[in-house]
Amino acid sequence: MNFLSLFTRNLRQGPYTEPFPFAPAPTPKRFRGRIAFDAKSCEGCRLCEKVCPSGAIRFERTPEGMTFDCWHDTCVFCGTCEFYCPTKSVGQTDDWHLSHAQDQKFALVEHGLIPNQICAECGAKALATAPMTANVRPPYSAEEFEHARALCPKCRAKFLKSRRKS
Amino acid sequence: MSVVERLKNVAARSPWLYRINAGSCNGCDVELATTALIPRYDVERLGCQYCGSPRHADIVLITGPLTRHVLAAAQRLFEEIPDPKVTVAVGVCPISGGIFRESYSVCAPIDQYFPVDVNVPGCPPRPQAIIEGIAKAIAIWRQRL
Repeated sequence: MNFLSLFTRNLRQGPYTEPFPFAPAPTPKRFRGRIAFDAKSCEGCRLCEKVCPSGAIRFERTPEGMTFDCWHDTCVFCGTCEFYCPTKSVGQTDDWHLSHAQDQKFALVEHGLIPNQICAECGAKALATAPMTANVRPPYSAEEFEHARALCPKCRAKFLKSRRKS
Repeated sequence: MSVVERLKNVAARSPWLYRINAGSCNGCDVELATTALIPRYDVERLGCQYCGSPRHADIVLITGPLTRHVLAAAQRLFEEIPDPKVTVAVGVCPISGGIFRESYSVCAPIDQYFPVDVNVPGCPPRPQAIIEGIAKAIAIWRQRL
């Protein structure tokens, strides 16, 4: 009788094999795949570059600002960058379609640019990173955050000091 | 259709796979075994089959960062595989070295020694990604035939 129940179950469910190359494959929700970078929320602390075990992440200063590059051909998808990122602006998506022909080898890069800006108070040129919020007590309000974003590091420190006094 | 073309169409059905473990940690090899042996993924649907001898192979799958110790043996094996062959680098190690990249005992990336055609990054790549890479390799192999 057992084989009959198995037989009907197999008839009902169809083959167990995923039809992958001919149809999309199911992906787990928390799959650790391709790296995504959001330049707007990045604080520019470069912690991800430091902790990356495979040296896939590289920041570089250019005339336009600071570039972020993650080469997926050496990334081991460990998720350490996401774990250490204070703002989670480096994260992993569930995209695993990374196989490519040899001539695409050096094109598999996640690229981002943190541009330069002119400080709203002193007029110096500085990176337009998001202000650090980890140790700010009381936390920034939305207006204060936007104000701090428009400043250079020195003016941010002054702003924090004045905030602490008042 | 000429006889040669007809023969090509017949021959292009079933590319056989051959694995070279060039000092891999076995993670990618386990994924390769999973790709072939578990009915959920089943690479044999594409006509592929692992073969035991390099002389029967059409597509070579290389895993591992190519340690210095295994370099000569891997090159000897690679030369035994008849042309036209397609080389697939499976995992991050053969493509760039990954976490072993600057080691004294590792010859990665392997494209210094082998003509790589398809790269499948991942540490290890998931079986579906390997199937995707093999599908790309089959397309290249059909063109070369």
